[in-house]
Amino acid sequence: MPDTSASCMYSLVSASGLQGVARPRGRTREDGAPRGWGRPRTQAPEGRLPGAQQAEAFVRAFLKRSMPRMSQQACEDQLQRKAVVLEYFTRRKRKEKRKRSKGLSARQRRELHLFDITAEQQRYSLFLPLHELWKQYIRDLCGGLKPDTQPQMIQAKLLKADLHGALISVTKSKCPSYVGVTGILLQETKHLFKIITKEDRLKVIPKLNCVFTVEIDGFISYIYGSKFQLRSSERSAKKFKAKGTVDL
Amino acid sequence: MATLRRLREVPRHLLVCEKSNFGHDKSRHRHLVETHYHNYRVSFLIPECGILSKELKNLVMETGPYYFVKNLPLHELITQEFINTFVKKGSCYALTHNTNIDEDNTVALLPNGKLILSLDKDTYEETGLQGRPSQYSGRKVMKFIVSIDLMDLSFNPNSKKCERVSWSFKEKKPLKFDFLLAWHHTGAEESTMMSYFSNYRIQELQPKIALSTVTELQCPVLRSGALRGEPEAACSAPELLDWLGAVFSRADLTNEPHSFVSTYCCPQPSTVVARAYLCTITGFILPEKICLLLEQLCHYFDEPKLAPWVTLSVQGFADSPVSWRENEHGFRKGGEHLYNFVIFNNQDYWLQMAVGANDDCPP
Repeated sequence: MPDTSASCMYSLVSASGLQGVARPRGRTREDGAPRGWGRPRTQAPEGRLPGAQQAEAFVRAFLKRSMPRMSQQACEDQLQRKAVVLEYFTRRKRKEKRKRSKGLSARQRRELHLFDITAEQQRYSLFLPLHELWKQYIRDLCGGLKPDTQPQMIQAKLLKADLHGALISVTKSKCPSYVGVTGILLQETKHLFKIITKEDRLKVIPKLNCVFTVEIDGFISYIYGSKFQLRSSERSAKKFKAKGTVDL
Repeated sequence: MATLRRLREVPRHLLVCEKSNFGHDKSRHRHLVETHYHNYRVSFLIPECGILSKELKNLVMETGPYYFVKNLPLHELITQEFINTFVKKGSCYALTHNTNIDEDNTVALLPNGKLILSLDKDTYEETGLQGRPSQYSGRKVMKFIVSIDLMDLSFNPNSKKCERVSWSFKEKKPLKFDFLLAWHHTGAEESTMMSYFSNYRIQELQPKIALSTVTELQCPVLRSGALRGEPEAACSAPELLDWLGAVFSRADLTNEPHSFVSTYCCPQPSTVVARAYLCTITGFILPEKICLLLEQLCHYFDEPKLAPWVTLSVQGFADSPVSWRENEHGFRKGGEHLYNFVIFNNQDYWLQMAVGANDDCPP
């Protein structure tokens, strides 16, 4: 019978294999040899020693007595030692640089000459079909331009329409030399109109401080360039406020 | 605060007085008379005179007809035909009628072939002709001056300039005005304005003439050498101009205490003259005729006369875009630009030129 005195601390081994012997610590036999080591195993390893069984029963009873609140299941869970990992290695995900297509800056665009119109392409007759296309587009947009259509409706549609290919002329401008320039609109940027005139000359007209006239089938609209300083793509989304008169 | 200060300040006038002699080589009287283009009123005063001499009377009656055309489009003034018929042969003067220089568009044709347009901002932005902003604009420029040289246009009729001007006047912004026209022709044949502009409503008008005599007039004593006057001996030139204005507006010069209208009295020292002859001609008067009148008045003293001096004053149109030569003229608070000759019996003369606020100094 093992010693059940309270001062004896038992090092508890895993409950799953309470094989072996509950070793009483700090107790030596009379003859100086540590207890329990010399006891020979007389049984086969798969079977349990009667001593081991007793030890197990003792441990259970002891636990139940000393911690009456905890259920047996909870005690056994506590006994089951789980490995505590003291260092935590996470695999650092390498931040992938999202490959954004940067696009070309204005200088690079200019160097690439993407939007330039070469000299041999600067002929008015080449762009007349474009003008016809534009007229057709506007007619479709307004649902057929009859003489009794409301001018406001056409104006509203023109504000959002694309003007490439329209026949534009400058009616009023703070600079007198721009007045009277008429031609087909080739490119529209944020601040400029690029127009090709009948004499095959490419004219670049700034939008600021100019009033342009757009004519379609007898409907003449005036565009105030200072309020129109948007890229054509952005203009379709912008709401225009109504203003009484605009002074240049 | 600044606005109040600006509104309270009196607009400046300039009075330039000079004296010279008609016989002098470098006398500028002719040049100044000829370069003051648009004359509205000519008046002269002869003290100690009861009736006008025959030559003077003829001259006064013949200060030429002038013409008034309604709704003349501007492109008519730049046609080759007009330039060859009128501008090149003699001196042609034109001015828009009933347009205010500070608000409306005004056009003037000068005898040296320049067409001056004084346009407001919107019209200038629409015509597309190159011009310069007016000298008398404030922070925001409201008026622009466009100057077109017709002689230049006629030399090369197919130049780009000529085409642009005719495109602008015919198609882009056709402007129409009522014009006052006058033409001094040097050639022999007479192609008159009446026949040229027969398509438009043209009227031939004669200047209005008002003759009168005033009795017992107080005249200041003047000494031809003393422009600034001498105390107790002669009156100064500005005093004379004031007195002349009072006489012509028929103001009472007696300074009576119960007089409500004016407290002006004749500058001292003064003499009383038995009679004086006043004559006023109103219309669109040619500078050439004024030259002739001036010469005739000089010859007034060929025979000995009682009068110590005679005066001749000329006022310009308040709405003319130019005063002398091509100096810009503005209205401000009274667009006056006038000059006055005082002719003495020894062929000395005083010349006073007065301009208002929006004007350059007279030449």
